[in-house]
Amino acid sequence: MLPYLVLLRLRFVWVLLILFPAGVFAGDPLHQRIDQAIAAAKPDFARLAASSASDAEFVRRIYLDLTGSIPTADETRAFLKDPSLDKRPALIDRLLNSAEHARHFGTVLDVMLMERLPDKYVPHAPWLAYLRESAAENKPWDQLVREILSSDGADPRNRPTAKFYLERQAEPNLLTRDISRLFLGTNLQCCQCHDHPRIDDYKQAHYYGLFAFLNRSSLVVDKKLNMAVVSEKADGEVSFQSVFDPAKVTKRTGPRLPEGPPLKEPAVEKGKEYVVVPAADTRAVPRFSRRALLGPTLARPDNEQFKRNIANRLWAMMMGRGLIHPLDLDHSANLPSHPALLKLLAEDIAARKFDMRSFLRELALSQTYQRSSEQSSAGNEAEPTNYTVALLKPLTPEQLAWSLMQATGLTDIERAEWSKKLPAKAAAYTGSIHTPFGMAVVALFMETNNKEVTLYARLSPHVAPFVKAFGSLPGQAQEFDARLDQALFLANGPTVRSWLAPRPGNLIDRLARLTNTDALAEELYLSVLTRLPSAEERKEVADFLAARSNDRSMALQDMAWALLASAEFRFNH
Amino acid sequence: MWCSYSCGSSEHSLSRRGFLAGALGGALGTLVSDPFSRPAFTRELNKQQKRVLMIWLHGGVSQLESWDPKPGTKTGGPFLAIPTSVPGIHICELLPYTARIMHHLALVRGLNTAEDDHGKGAYIMHTGRRQEPAMKWPHLGSVCAKLLGEAKNPLPGYILITPHGNGGVNNEDAAFLGPRFASVSLSDGHAPANLDRPAALTETADYKRHEFRMLANQRFLRSRRTAQTEAYTNSYDQAAQLMRKRDLFDISKEPPLVVDRYGRHDFGRHCLMARRLLEGGATFVKVMHSNYDTHHENFDFHIEQLGEFDRPFASLIDDLHDRGLLSSTLVLVVSEFGRTPNINRLYGRDHWSKAWSIALAGCGIKGGSASGKTNAEGTAVTDRQVNGGHLFHTYLSALGFNSKKNFYIEQRPIPIADPKAAPITEVLA
Repeated sequence: MLPYLVLLRLRFVWVLLILFPAGVFAGDPLHQRIDQAIAAAKPDFARLAASSASDAEFVRRIYLDLTGSIPTADETRAFLKDPSLDKRPALIDRLLNSAEHARHFGTVLDVMLMERLPDKYVPHAPWLAYLRESAAENKPWDQLVREILSSDGADPRNRPTAKFYLERQAEPNLLTRDISRLFLGTNLQCCQCHDHPRIDDYKQAHYYGLFAFLNRSSLVVDKKLNMAVVSEKADGEVSFQSVFDPAKVTKRTGPRLPEGPPLKEPAVEKGKEYVVVPAADTRAVPRFSRRALLGPTLARPDNEQFKRNIANRLWAMMMGRGLIHPLDLDHSANLPSHPALLKLLAEDIAARKFDMRSFLRELALSQTYQRSSEQSSAGNEAEPTNYTVALLKPLTPEQLAWSLMQATGLTDIERAEWSKKLPAKAAAYTGSIHTPFGMAVVALFMETNNKEVTLYARLSPHVAPFVKAFGSLPGQAQEFDARLDQALFLANGPTVRSWLAPRPGNLIDRLARLTNTDALAEELYLSVLTRLPSAEERKEVADFLAARSNDRSMALQDMAWALLASAEFRFNH
Repeated sequence: MWCSYSCGSSEHSLSRRGFLAGALGGALGTLVSDPFSRPAFTRELNKQQKRVLMIWLHGGVSQLESWDPKPGTKTGGPFLAIPTSVPGIHICELLPYTARIMHHLALVRGLNTAEDDHGKGAYIMHTGRRQEPAMKWPHLGSVCAKLLGEAKNPLPGYILITPHGNGGVNNEDAAFLGPRFASVSLSDGHAPANLDRPAALTETADYKRHEFRMLANQRFLRSRRTAQTEAYTNSYDQAAQLMRKRDLFDISKEPPLVVDRYGRHDFGRHCLMARRLLEGGATFVKVMHSNYDTHHENFDFHIEQLGEFDRPFASLIDDLHDRGLLSSTLVLVVSEFGRTPNINRLYGRDHWSKAWSIALAGCGIKGGSASGKTNAEGTAVTDRQVNGGHLFHTYLSALGFNSKKNFYIEQRPIPIADPKAAPITEVLA
C-alpha cells in the first residue's frame, strides 16, 4: 500500500515538473512566486539572505509604505502584543483599505506624474483629490492613464485630470519626453534630434511616433471659458531629420507607439474637419483627434512597455529600487536585475486588470518585502540588486513631514479634537451593524473617514516647507539628497522646534507626565522609532535625564529631537 | 540616484574616509567626545583652490557707458573715454577706479548673444546655452560648485548675494546636477536660513543632543550603513561647521576704513561680504547689482549705477590681488545683454544683444587684453564675434578644465559646454 502511494505521489510530481519545469507553480500566489524568483537568481541565497524583519521593523515599514507615516505608539504596542499568526496579512489588508492609504497613494501618484511642476493652471487641491479618490476606489492604472491623457481641461467636471498636459504647457516635446518616461519607462529625450547615441533600442522614429499624437495640440487661453485649455488642429504632419545625418534625409511618421503599428486614421470630409474651428483665443476641436487616441493606444494590457513600467514602478515604491534601474531606462542593454520576475509581474498586473491595490498587497506579503534591513554577517556587502536584505528607503519629503507630525504628537492632538465628538459608547461598540444603533455607529465611522480628509486639510500646510527643503527639482523624479541646509532646517528651524514644545497631549507633554524613567523611555522609543528601547538605550535615557534634572522639559525635547534627527528615523528600514 | 556603498564615486570615497575616521575615533575610546570634530574641517585657505566671483549687473549694463565707449559719434552719448592702466585700452569715464586696474582685466567686446529678452538673456549668460523646451541646463555657478567644490566644504558651493528677495535654495539653478549644487541666496547679505542656534538652546545642550543623536546613529548604522546614511549623518557635521563660520556673513567684523573703501551702500557691503566669503573658502559667489534697465534717462542712471559699481569693484580686485587670491579667482562682470546704440526719445537705451561687451579678470585670464571689435557706432561686431557658448568655454578653460568634456548623468554623456562653440583663447593667459 505504502509503495503504491509513494509511486502515485511521484507521478504527480512528474506531471508538475513536465508542466512547470522551472519549479515555479503557476497556481502559487504572486508573493510566493516573487520569493521563488528572487531566491533562484542568487546562488547560496538562503545563507546570504537576512532573516525576516522583526514585528517592529515590519510595522514601521508597512505603515510608511502604505500610509505615508509611521504608526502611533498605541498602534505599535497593539501590533507587538497581538499573538495571532496572521497579524501581518491582516494589517496589510487593513492599511490598504484605509483612508490614509488613499491619501498617501494619491500623493505618490501626484509626485510621480507631476514631478513637482508648479501649479500654474490647475490648483493642487482638486488634482490631489482626484488622485486620492481614484486610489480610494482602486481605479485601475490603465483607466487612470486614459483619463489623464484624454482631458483637454474644458469640462469643469474633469478639469483636474488635464493637469498633466496643462502644467507642461501642452508642449509636444515636453509631453513626448514625459509620456515616454512615466508611462513607458523609456527616456526618449535624446531621440528628439537623432537616434539615441548609446542606446540602440531608442530611435528617433519612436520619439516622433509619440510626438505625432501631440504636435497638433497646444495650450490656448480660451476667452470664453476664461482659462487655459488644450486646443488641437486638424492638420500638421510630422517630419524629422537626424542632426547626425550628413545627407539630411527627411523622414515622416504618423502617430504610433514605439515599434507599434501606425494609427489608423479615419478620412474626414473636406470642409468638415472641425467641431470648433480654430480662431484667436478659442479652443479648436477637430472632428478627429489624434491626441484623444493616445490614451486608448498606449494604456493597454497588450502594451509590453506599459505593463513593465507600472509593475517596475510599484516594485520600486515597495522595495526601494526598480528591477529596471533607473526607472526610465528600460532597454535591452540595461536588463532588469531579475528579467523573469519582471516579466511575471508585468503579466500579472495586466491579468489583474491593473488593480494596483491587490498588486501592492502581493508585494507586501512577499518575504522579499518582509526581510530585515539588518545585514547578516554572511551577507556583508550585499548588492542592492540581490534583495538578500531589505533596502533602506529615504523618507520622501511627505513621509518625513507626516512622520514628524505623528512622532511629535501633532497628529494625535488634531485627531483627538474630532474624536471627542465620537461618543464613547459608539467607539466601543462591537455589536451587529444591523441594528439602529449599529447603523448610527457605521454612519459615525463614515464621518470619521471624512474627518481623515479634514485632518489632512488641517495638517497638510505643514508639509510644504519639507517639500521645499527636501523635494527634487520641478520636472525631475524624486531623488535623495542630504544637504546642510536640510540639516539646519531640522536642527534650528522653527517648524520642528515648535512641534517639540510641550502642548497638552503631544509627545513631550506625555513624556513629562511619566515619572518612571523606564516607562518614559518606552513611550519615547515607541513614538519616535516605532520599537521598544533596548536595556542599553533605557540606561542612556536615564543618564541623559539624570544629568539635566534641573531642566527636564528641555532635556526631553533635546532627546526627542536627537532621535528624530537620527538615521533610523530618516530612513524607512 | 541610488549609490551602492561600493560604487567608487568621489562622494562615496569621501564619505567612506569620514566613516573610517569615525571608526578610528571609536577604537580610541573618544567616540562621542566631540560630535562636531569629525570629519575635522581644518583646511587652511589653499591658494591653489580655484574660485569664481560673478558680478551680475542686473537689467543690462550699457556697453557704450562702460567697456566699449564710442565718444563723439551719433550713438556715443555724452561721456568721454578715458585711458586706463593698459596703453591702447580706453573705457568710459564713468569707471575711473576700474581704469586703474585695467591691467588685471580682459574685455570681450565682440559679444552677440542674439537674445533681447531679460529672462532668456540671463539664461544664456548663466548657462552658456539657449533655452530648450525639454532640457534645463545648470548655471555656471552650479557647474563650478560641482567641478571645483570640495565635498567637505561647509559653505554652499554657489552663493548668490542679492539686494532683496527671499533667501533660500534655488533648486532650478542646478538642473540635472542636483540640488546639492543649487545656489543659496543670501537676501540683502543676510546669512543662510536657520544658521543661528535657537535662543532657548544653549551651546552645551546643542552639543549634548548631537551626542545623543550620534549615539543612536552608531547603533543603527552598525549593520545598515549605506552611502545615503553617510551623506545624511555628514550633513549635520557640515551644518555645524557652517554655524561656526557664522562670522563670514557678518561684515561688522571689518574695520570701518575698509567698509568706507567699499562704500556704505548695498553693493559695497555685498562686495565686501563676497571678499570675506571667497577668503573663507567659498567656491562661487555671485553678487547682484541692480538695476541697469535704463529705457529712459540712460545717462543719469549710469552715472548713479556705475558710480556705485566702480569703487567697490576696483577695491575688491585690489584686495584679492593683495591677498594673492586673484590669480586663483576667476572674476566675471556680466549682464543679460547690453543696450542699444540708438538713443530713444526718453534719452534711454533699450535691450540690445547684437554687439556688446563683458569684462573678465583673475584666474587663467590674460590681464590687459581685449578681444573683439565693434564698428564705429557700435551697431555691429566687426571682429571676433562670440556668443554665450564661447563665454562658457572660456570660463571653464580659464579655470583649467577641458571645456569639451561631458557630464555623465545616469550614463548619458552631456557636454558641459555647447559643443558648437569654443574658448576665446585671446583672453586666456
